[in-house]
Amino acid sequence: MAARSDSATRFVFTVPDHFLRGFVWLAVACLALFSACTTRGTANNGAAREIRDDAGRRVSIPANVDRVVSLAPNLTEIVFAVGAGDRLVGRTSYCDFPPEAKAVAEVGDTLHPSLERIIALKPQVVLVSTASQLEVFTQQLQGQNIAVYVTDPHDLEGVFRSIGQIGEIVGEKDKAGLLVQKLRERTAAVEAAVKQKQPVRVFYQVSGEPLYTIGRESFITDLMRRAGGASVTADVPGAWPKYSNESALAARPEAIILPTGGSMGSANANVADALRQSPAALQGRVYKINDDHLARPGPRSVDGLEEMARALHPDAFPK
Amino acid sequence: MLEARDLSVSYDHRVAVANVTLSLKQGEITAIIGPNGAGKSTLLRTLNGQLPRTSGNVLLDGEPIERLNRRNISRHIAVVAQEAELRFPVTVLEFVLGGRFAWATHSGWGWETERDLHVAESVLRETELSDLSSRLMNELSGGERQRALMARALATEAAILLLDEPTANLDLSHQATLLSVVRNRCNQQRSAALVVTHDINLAAAFADNILLMKQGRVIHSGSPAEVLRPEILQDVFEIRVLVDAHPVTGGPRVTPVHTDQSV
Amino acid sequence: MITTASEAVASPARRKRVTLRKTIVTCAVMAAALLLAIVLMSLLGSEQLPVRASLCALASFGTSTCGLTQDQFDILFQIRLPRILLAAAVGGSLATAGAGYQALLRNPLAEPYLLGISNGAAVGTMIALVFFGAMEWTRPILAFTGALAATLAVYRLARGRAGATPERLILAGVIVTTFLSSVIVFVTVLMDATRIRSFTFWLLGDLSGTSKALLPVAITIAIAGALALTLNARSLNLLMLGERDAFDLGVEVGRVRIVVFVVASLLVGSSVAASGSVGYVGLVIPHLARLSLGSDNRISIPAAALGGALFVIVADTVARTVIAPRELPVGAITALIGAPLFIYLLRRV
Repeated sequence: MAARSDSATRFVFTVPDHFLRGFVWLAVACLALFSACTTRGTANNGAAREIRDDAGRRVSIPANVDRVVSLAPNLTEIVFAVGAGDRLVGRTSYCDFPPEAKAVAEVGDTLHPSLERIIALKPQVVLVSTASQLEVFTQQLQGQNIAVYVTDPHDLEGVFRSIGQIGEIVGEKDKAGLLVQKLRERTAAVEAAVKQKQPVRVFYQVSGEPLYTIGRESFITDLMRRAGGASVTADVPGAWPKYSNESALAARPEAIILPTGGSMGSANANVADALRQSPAALQGRVYKINDDHLARPGPRSVDGLEEMARALHPDAFPK
Repeated sequence: MLEARDLSVSYDHRVAVANVTLSLKQGEITAIIGPNGAGKSTLLRTLNGQLPRTSGNVLLDGEPIERLNRRNISRHIAVVAQEAELRFPVTVLEFVLGGRFAWATHSGWGWETERDLHVAESVLRETELSDLSSRLMNELSGGERQRALMARALATEAAILLLDEPTANLDLSHQATLLSVVRNRCNQQRSAALVVTHDINLAAAFADNILLMKQGRVIHSGSPAEVLRPEILQDVFEIRVLVDAHPVTGGPRVTPVHTDQSV
Repeated sequence: MITTASEAVASPARRKRVTLRKTIVTCAVMAAALLLAIVLMSLLGSEQLPVRASLCALASFGTSTCGLTQDQFDILFQIRLPRILLAAAVGGSLATAGAGYQALLRNPLAEPYLLGISNGAAVGTMIALVFFGAMEWTRPILAFTGALAATLAVYRLARGRAGATPERLILAGVIVTTFLSSVIVFVTVLMDATRIRSFTFWLLGDLSGTSKALLPVAITIAIAGALALTLNARSLNLLMLGERDAFDLGVEVGRVRIVVFVVASLLVGSSVAASGSVGYVGLVIPHLARLSLGSDNRISIPAAALGGALFVIVADTVARTVIAPRELPVGAITALIGAPLFIYLLRRV
């Protein structure tokens, strides 16, 4: 043992030239340093992650994401909610929450975003909310090495999953996990409170004239169920079907939810004609809830859930 | 009946008709001949009130026609055009009954009376179209269609007939037939007719008066023998003509002489 | 020129002229068919109603419920019947307007949509909705104004040396309609996302928004318009065969032209204000009427009016039952039926 270390040291110190010795030390030091650097680099920048999005696509996300563009208001809210607001470089003109979001550059509106603006912002990932936006520009963005991630939740679980996935994408997995945890707790509390109650038959009026409501594929239908309501249109195919006036009348809902206010302004503040004589309208059980809490599948969906539950079952929530 | 007094018509800074005076007499056929651009059709269209006059007067039975309403004018003056716009299918009878519009009691609606049908049937006989009365106008030959146009004009029972190159699309036999109908009308019912035509010899054969126009003016007027003289014609048409007596009718027969014709 | 050689071969020549009696009989038959359609279609919908009780209630003109529940009664008389009557008014108006344009412009292809009149009315309605949303009565008024403005624009554009020939009018109409379409798209894009969906549906023809106040207006205009054009039918018969000839035969061409343009704008404006753009009705129905009854406007205009009403009632019933409880825009159904029908008609002519 002593002999071997002796021979190694003897090798280094028996090199005749001082300059050469210094050079060798320098080389060894660099080598050591270099190997340390590259090891870390490979761990963070080298391999991209593959995540499956809600459209079933396998999306390749770079390991370090610090430039994200959001193309829907709910996705902007999620990005800020998981603490990654500083990494948002582009949003739509409808993305108005939280207030800090307004400082982010605009890239157009949800339906017709400006491809040029998006590309100019050099994001690594673009978050989109439904597959309908997809065909328009996925090809071009992918050609620019920009990943496109589609969210399309059909229920509250899907919303939680979106929050988790986005958290992972932007590198805030823990914060996202914590947020989802809190949201689950609040959800569970609501569900427990209304558990014993008879579900209220509700008509959710997306718009009055023409008459639009929520269908099977809409996540709001699930939200309503958890809030102790049963949407009278829960079995109708589609997400936002245009509904027949007579079927709305015949449904005789006990309560009507009018999503209004928020970014929607004063629109949809009145019950549709066909429902004016419904039990809900006659008993005054028409509830206006901030549309942004219901139509945006994100952290505020649980606000909407609580508001719906309180409206439908006021006695289950003392105070 | 119908007269023009010192009538002038100009549009787009162009004088189309200049100081024309004419008078149509009962039972007479007047032909207007002249080179292209002489203003013949413009004159005709001004006489029935379609084109506005610039100066002078057009009088129908002594009344200036501006004072008369459309329907009234149509009861007195009928126009026979060159061809009909047949974009929609109509039968010959329906087409001819159109001539009875001016006599309808209600302005835009109403149904044909017995009298209307009677008149239509008689003009169809007159123009030898009775057999074709239920046929669609589109099915008719060119000559038959022209007769139908004639029949419609006759159905208006107007005493004054204005014909704008009525024989332009007809073959020889139909040309003669058409003008004989006009001739008969004038003879038997004391109508007056004004025929704008390119065919000088046809005019010579049927007209009682001829008006020779050039550049909007009436250069010469009178009987065919008086107007159809070589020096006058050569001056107006700028081509050499030969005028001799028609072997059958004795009236003037005009033959153009083409100097570069092969012998 | 549309030749009817093939039609002539099919019906060899002996066609009797139109008389008052034939007109009355035809209109009576069609009116009866219309009434039957109203009754039958009111039995159909996304909710099942008991047939006998419904018929009884209809027969009593709503004075007795005949055993229907309050809800069923409301569905029948507050939702279905008004909608069916609106469909009749819209169909009748558009077909009448189409017949009027075709006669005046001497072109069997003239139609309110093609000429830009529908789009003019749509822009007018959009302005009313955006700026005077709550005041319903502004919609038909601004729609009428828009239709008239589009008519004037088309007419001015089409004026050439030889006057506004039918060809130039159609061309000018295409220009105006495409321009106004872009205006509509522009305004739609500026609207917020929540309104876009409902507007797109409306632009394709939507009879579900039946306002109680506007329905009587729509029906009155439809009937008055059809009457006004029918009373000018004889003039239109002559106009159809040439403006100059009509003039020679005693028609006051300028006056009739104004009447047709104003009445047609009123008809189109009232329809579009109530239900958006329902296409093909103004094109196909008058064509069918003329093909089966002859070109005489005294019979073909009232027949087109009644036929148009019938057509849209049936199309709307399909639109509101085929994917019940969801609905389709009625314009989609009229196009689905109208387009192949029109191709067939074109080949016959």
